[in-house]
Amino acid sequence: MSERVAELRRAREKSHFLRLSAVVVAVGIAWAWLTGGPLLGRLPAERRWENFKNFAAELVPSPVRKSGNWSDAGPWAWELLTDEGFLALATTLGIATAAIILSASLVLPLLPLASRELSRPDPFGLWAGRTGRFRRWIRKVPGPVTRFGFVLARAVPEYIVAFLLIALLGLQVWPLVLALAIHNLGILGRLWGEVVENAEPAAARHALAAGQSREGAFLSRILPENFNRFLIYFFYRWETCVKDATVLGMLGLLTLGKLIALSKGFFWDRMFFYILLGASVILIGDLLSTFLRRKLR
Amino acid sequence: MPEDGKYGRRRWVVLGIGLIFLICAWALGLTPAGLVPPDATRWERTGEFFKAALNPAFDYEDPDVPEDADPIWIKGLKGVFLTLKFAFGAMSLAVPVALLMGFLGSSSWWPTPCPRGLKVMLRGVYLLSRFFMSLLRSIHELIWALLILSAFGMSPLAGMVALALPFSGTLGKVFSELIDEEARDAAFALKAIGHRPVQTFLVGTLPAALPNLITYSFYRFECALRSSAVLGFVGIETIGLYIELSHEEFYYREVWTYFYLLLALIIIVDFWGAGIRKRLNSSPGGCRA
Repeated sequence: MSERVAELRRAREKSHFLRLSAVVVAVGIAWAWLTGGPLLGRLPAERRWENFKNFAAELVPSPVRKSGNWSDAGPWAWELLTDEGFLALATTLGIATAAIILSASLVLPLLPLASRELSRPDPFGLWAGRTGRFRRWIRKVPGPVTRFGFVLARAVPEYIVAFLLIALLGLQVWPLVLALAIHNLGILGRLWGEVVENAEPAAARHALAAGQSREGAFLSRILPENFNRFLIYFFYRWETCVKDATVLGMLGLLTLGKLIALSKGFFWDRMFFYILLGASVILIGDLLSTFLRRKLR
Repeated sequence: MPEDGKYGRRRWVVLGIGLIFLICAWALGLTPAGLVPPDATRWERTGEFFKAALNPAFDYEDPDVPEDADPIWIKGLKGVFLTLKFAFGAMSLAVPVALLMGFLGSSSWWPTPCPRGLKVMLRGVYLLSRFFMSLLRSIHELIWALLILSAFGMSPLAGMVALALPFSGTLGKVFSELIDEEARDAAFALKAIGHRPVQTFLVGTLPAALPNLITYSFYRFECALRSSAVLGFVGIETIGLYIELSHEEFYYREVWTYFYLLLALIIIVDFWGAGIRKRLNSSPGGCRA
């Protein structure tokens, strides 16, 4: 019996790549925890505890701190909401929505180029007519280039791009929308690209064999057939955009992030209120997107 | 071809999305004019900034750098390694917590048939852990950092915890879904020969879900790298801090040096992750955050 187990053990699949990866991860974790300065910083523990107690006390809304009566919190919260809160909420949602739609409309036309099947000289292994060696070679270029473009776009952290763009375009909505759109271009490119690659090829093959162009086959066959899958990823990214748009405001625009950053250090109670407001919006966006995605599945 | 009843709404969805974009653009004042730098100095700065992209700094632009400072590429590499280290630290906190919460937030280990009292209790635990995970997730890591650093003062651990909290929420949610979606054939077989529910889970369900759990964790590690760079902007020493400091002084060529190094790191890890996914033969699960 144990011999059989040993035999199975020997015969199992092994991958040096995966083993090496595991070693690298383990070394990385050990390095993160064991090297560098003191993990807790240099402040003594008692000071830290004092800090925390002061901070926690200031999270209580200021009218409540004065009167000790929690019923005063209602008007205070309402004033914050009507003063700037609602506007900031709407701006946050607007930025996220505009960014994801912009990004989606940029990705769609690139998909036939990025697809491993469609962009080949012989899509789906179909004979594409008699072509010269040069034209066949040139057909091999756009696929990898587009896919690397997606990698590049999703590699840039949107916060840093927004930070850089604000310096150039001034403090307005475009830098935030562009930063979110660029980052999501890369992510949607990958996710939608996978939808295209996993798509059932029969109809698209048929269209190509009947003489349709690659783009035509994509638009008339692959896109409609997998429409819901495209939408699922679209809503998923919208949800993350809402989350990111909140903090991008910390760079100085009227979204919740700005209100949070401005109240920091002076009005901890307000900051906490705005954080909770932001969390509730994200929670609602999350629920909405989960609901839509479940419906579309 | 698809019949109208099921698919006829596609064009309305597309048109609706287009309309929503127009409404948003109108409400936010997004006009093409906004895409142009507003005044002459900004025009100049934009030009300089993009010229610097082709000409990243190999030496400090800052005249006040001390003689014995590391060359800029050493400093940049240090920033890259600090970013990586920070992400490793945060993920090593987030994954175990997420595993625990993911277990509590999944239902495939519940005994069947389940006594009524126990079921009510399990359902309570399930809902509670799911709610807790959404709560963690719905506050962005930068805001967690702001809160934790304000409450406890600056320290490397505080930054790691700030990053780990929302990540454990996301990981936990996805873990629980991956576990619940896993086919239960093996678990049923084990149950039939008399294993107890938790044993069945540990031996039957969890190993089957493991490749997906690993690839998803790795995907989140890629995200953690980006976030750890961004946390530089609240003062934690990663490459984001260097980018911000150089940018404040208008040393655009230095900015690009750091930026290229960061991109290189993220792209290398992206390809590493693709290699792992290919070998574990599972999808990236990118839509599950």
